[in-house]
Amino acid sequence: MTSTVRASPVGPGVRRVRAGSGPLPVVLAAAVVAAVTVAPLIIVVAQALPLGWSGAGAYLFRPRMAELLGNTVALVILTVPLTILIGVGAAWLVERCVLPGVGVWRILLLAPLAVPAFVASYAWSSAWPSVSGLWGAVFVTTLAYYPFVYLPVAALLRTLDQGDVDSARALGETAAGAALRVVLPHLRPALCGGALLVALHLLAEFGVMQMLRFSTLTTAIVQQYAIGFSDAAGSMLATVLIALCLLVLVIEVFARGRTRIARVGRGTREQPVRASLGRWTAPVLAVLTALVGLGVIVPVAVVLRWLLRAALADAIDGPRLLATTGTTLLLACLAGVAVLAAALPGAWLLDRRRSAFSVALERLTFVASALPGVVVGLALVTVAVHWARPIYQTVGLVVLAYLILFVPRAVVTWRAGLAAVPPELAEAGRSLGAGGVGTFTRVVLPIVAPSALTGFVLVFLATATELTATLLLAPTGTETLATAFWAASDELDYVASAPYAAVLILLSAPLTLLLHRRMAAVA
Amino acid sequence: MRRRTFLTGLGAAGALGLLGCGGNRTSPAVEEYVPDRGALQLYSAQHQNLTTAWADAFSAETGIRVQVRKGQDASMGHQIVAEGDASPADVFITENSPAMTLVERAGLLAEVGGSTRRQLLQHLTLSSQTWVPIAARSTVLVYNTTSLATQEIPASLMELSDASWKDRWACAAGGADFQAIVAGMIADQGEAKTADWLAGLKANARILQNNIATMKSVNAGEIPCGVIYHYYWYRDQAGTKEGSGNTALHYFKNSDPGAFVSLSAGGVLASSAKPAEAQQFLAFITSQQGQRVLVDSGSMEYAVAVGVASDPALPPLQSLQAPSVDPVDLNSEKVIALMTDAGIL
Amino acid sequence: MSSIMISGLSAGYGRVPVLEEVDLTVAAGTTTAVLGASGGGKTTLLRAIAGFLRPAAGRIVINDRVLSDDTTFLAPHRRPLGYVRQDGTLFPHLDVAGNITFGLSRAERRRPGVVGELLELVGLAPDLARRNPAQLSGGQQQRVALARALARRPEVVLLDEPFSSLDAALRAETRRATATALAESGATALLVTHDQAEALSCADQIAILRDKQLVQVGTPAEVYGDPTDPDLARFLGEAVVLPGQAYGGVARCALGAVRLAQPADGQVVVVLRPEQIRLSPEPDDAETGPTTIAGVVRDVAFYGHDTMLELELVSTAERVLARLAGAPIPAVGTRASLHVDGTAKAFPSG
Repeated sequence: MTSTVRASPVGPGVRRVRAGSGPLPVVLAAAVVAAVTVAPLIIVVAQALPLGWSGAGAYLFRPRMAELLGNTVALVILTVPLTILIGVGAAWLVERCVLPGVGVWRILLLAPLAVPAFVASYAWSSAWPSVSGLWGAVFVTTLAYYPFVYLPVAALLRTLDQGDVDSARALGETAAGAALRVVLPHLRPALCGGALLVALHLLAEFGVMQMLRFSTLTTAIVQQYAIGFSDAAGSMLATVLIALCLLVLVIEVFARGRTRIARVGRGTREQPVRASLGRWTAPVLAVLTALVGLGVIVPVAVVLRWLLRAALADAIDGPRLLATTGTTLLLACLAGVAVLAAALPGAWLLDRRRSAFSVALERLTFVASALPGVVVGLALVTVAVHWARPIYQTVGLVVLAYLILFVPRAVVTWRAGLAAVPPELAEAGRSLGAGGVGTFTRVVLPIVAPSALTGFVLVFLATATELTATLLLAPTGTETLATAFWAASDELDYVASAPYAAVLILLSAPLTLLLHRRMAAVA
Repeated sequence: MRRRTFLTGLGAAGALGLLGCGGNRTSPAVEEYVPDRGALQLYSAQHQNLTTAWADAFSAETGIRVQVRKGQDASMGHQIVAEGDASPADVFITENSPAMTLVERAGLLAEVGGSTRRQLLQHLTLSSQTWVPIAARSTVLVYNTTSLATQEIPASLMELSDASWKDRWACAAGGADFQAIVAGMIADQGEAKTADWLAGLKANARILQNNIATMKSVNAGEIPCGVIYHYYWYRDQAGTKEGSGNTALHYFKNSDPGAFVSLSAGGVLASSAKPAEAQQFLAFITSQQGQRVLVDSGSMEYAVAVGVASDPALPPLQSLQAPSVDPVDLNSEKVIALMTDAGIL
Repeated sequence: MSSIMISGLSAGYGRVPVLEEVDLTVAAGTTTAVLGASGGGKTTLLRAIAGFLRPAAGRIVINDRVLSDDTTFLAPHRRPLGYVRQDGTLFPHLDVAGNITFGLSRAERRRPGVVGELLELVGLAPDLARRNPAQLSGGQQQRVALARALARRPEVVLLDEPFSSLDAALRAETRRATATALAESGATALLVTHDQAEALSCADQIAILRDKQLVQVGTPAEVYGDPTDPDLARFLGEAVVLPGQAYGGVARCALGAVRLAQPADGQVVVVLRPEQIRLSPEPDDAETGPTTIAGVVRDVAFYGHDTMLELELVSTAERVLARLAGAPIPAVGTRASLHVDGTAKAFPSG
């Protein structure tokens, strides 16, 4: 029995997705979360309005604007295909080919996630200052972001059914052709999702671009807000950035298509047969080693080198390091919990009810997540200062910024978790005498918990490495690892920034392990 | 098995959270912002080590606790303007004066006591009474001694807009520091000439993110020369010389725009809840004692108080022949407008 | 021991009715199989009884307890029912013991031996208690699901095509174990399936669901031997259907004179079962008489326990099926003489 790509949701007796919007409390909660995540967008655009059409036109149609737009677009157009190439290629080699040390490769290829992108750029530019500009940015971000594509694709390849490929070959297709016509379409959703993530990260990235001296829309926005003159100008730039993000989202929708991957027919999945590489094994291993070397080993080695120098020069401020680590952990935990709670209603609606409302909800939250932290940060400052002073300069406001930025990630992981609990399981629970609450606590929650934990860790990591919104919103005297790192590295004080970089890497490392274990649990 | 994973994960998260709280107890790093009756709220865009040195010295001297909020010149200035009367800030200190004049124009500053103002060097007296200089820095040209021969050094900052300087000089054009220099140029040379010069900058100069990056880039030989403030170079020279070992400084002098001296400013917010302590702080940092803290901190900026000598490594402030520009005339908004037109911003 | 009484049940999804005016009674302690084509509404019936679906009209009563009617609707977790689905739906996060004892109270769960008893009830080894459901075979999973449902000692057990996802080899074995467990526990069972063999062998009573209605309810022998129309005959096992002319107790058709179970007259459709057709070697031409029906074997399908032959009647070239037990198996092309055993059913034509 095989699985095939079908044009619509399928499955005998599969009633998981119902029509209709859903229970009112859930819909309301999801709507509130969506409204909050969209608010900075509206504020930003509203701040740009005073310029008027002529002012806006004069601002937008300048050589500088063309330069910024060109840089940003060039970055995305160059990096995304590269990440796709590397991500899919690596996933294919590791999951579908005979490779010595597969278990080790699986972890190593995910390892770039343990090094925040701005730390990697710090490592590269401190060791080789010539790494800068467009090619430097493409280089560093490709190495930093390919795991976004690698991860879902590898996970999918692990759950692939050999039956598909065999059926295709029985129908006369070559091995390569079977791969192209049967396996690749399977990968489309994962691929598009990963590429979207890469593109959005690129559009919002600040630290890397600033350090590599590559002017993009985001660095220009930060510059404008740092200068502070004419909020309208910065908002204008931010509006252009938002437009780019929307464009990227639309492109992804079309690229993904309407196909749904479902297993048609019953029977067990056959384990995929790995292709032998033969004499290509050595070159492939060399390439993978180079990939891991450049993506992980080099940045970590450089950080360690600076750390050693800092230790030898007795330049490590222990108490401050401890304090900033504590702050970072606390904020990250708060954010993790808040984001998980906020993302659940929307994820539930998307999993159990498919309606125009829930889809619109999803897209709205995604658009808001594409805003750079600085835009969200300043929009929240404006709101807090003008209308909600009590929350100004509170931890709550910072966490709110993280919420706006990271809810979509949690929605994705919640959905994965909810998908593991089809309504039939809940019904089984009820038929065995557990009421609504009993079913939830004894059936739904335990099964969903691992995904919830993954979501928590993802948000935790994102919060720990968030820079610009934190710079703007953190209460007086509060310093996170990222802001402390930035304060030093912005002055090219590599030695002083090394301890913070090292701790950031240490914090991010468990994520890699967690994702690796989750992937292992899938197959 | 899944339950175990879940529980371990939960335990790990809990442990992390506790660690975070533990961090809270060992230091005030995670204090939420509450109007602390005890602490003076200092909004500082000045460098961290100098700010900390001043805050600690003041607390030791007066027993008044100081809580510091760090920021950048312009964004902090704009934040204060946006906060308006509700701003928790008591004292605002900057690296350059345009950020202060911004707050001044919004009418948010209180008058500084006369006794404080009298502590300052005569030639630095301002036409404004709502803020005082607390330190000074001079524009310099840092050049790589191998890449640039002494005879090639330009006589004036204005020469750098010439096509012969294409890709041969760098600056941190986006920063508040450089914008102060440009503001000085507008006040000294007028808008038209400044606009031309900025066009030349856009065409010829490599724009880096800050002064230190500029200096290190020149030091590494990537570019022959750069325009920065003096103290970065002296700091590095006093330290490891890692960022400036191959470089030397050139002072333009002759009242050239390239000899512009920028004043770091300090002011008391009119909305301050602790006006007396705030004035006390300003008085302290501009006093001989406070200025000696400045000199001893190794920040290498110029002291501005009467009777306090700056670090001996620095050439005397008077000898720099800076153009006479009234800091009050420095208009950051005009600078930004010109820079935007030139396509730099 | 409880009986189920369903009267006037109408149910559907949205505007689409799936069941209309369904009446069914299941006697206490017996098993009824609801047989119907896929998508015909069998699952809807079970879901309505279980409480996952609100019927548009009708009453569902267990013993004297009303589960659902115009004024009442009892929530699923309050109904004294067990529900076993086609795919078992075991909880993946609990082991076998955890699954089985899920519906029990905490005290009952802790009672030593409770899991062992239930595993024994469904014929499973006690060492499976600590296993993860994913490690079990399909048949074992189904049995665990049954044990789980029976753990609460429900009055009624609902089974939704419980064996259809199993391999053929497992099916019979699991069926037997299920029947034994149900009998031992004394529960009344309502089983829905599209597999006739399952329905015929498992149940005390069969109800056939067709076109939103129950078209025949009776014992397996009744339903098999005495179907209410030719389509039903064809549905339930193989049938030989021939047009014929009935004269009272006999009908004339291509198979000659066939005795009828009930008298009929006029144009009829004669329905027989393949096992009623006996083959014998064809007599010499000299002995061929007008009463000998000759047929030629056109297809042989060997099933191990019997063989199904497709024969072409020499006289009319119509094809009939005949079931042959044991050896020898005639080869294709063999001519044989056909006789009809027993009585046939006749339905009016048209």
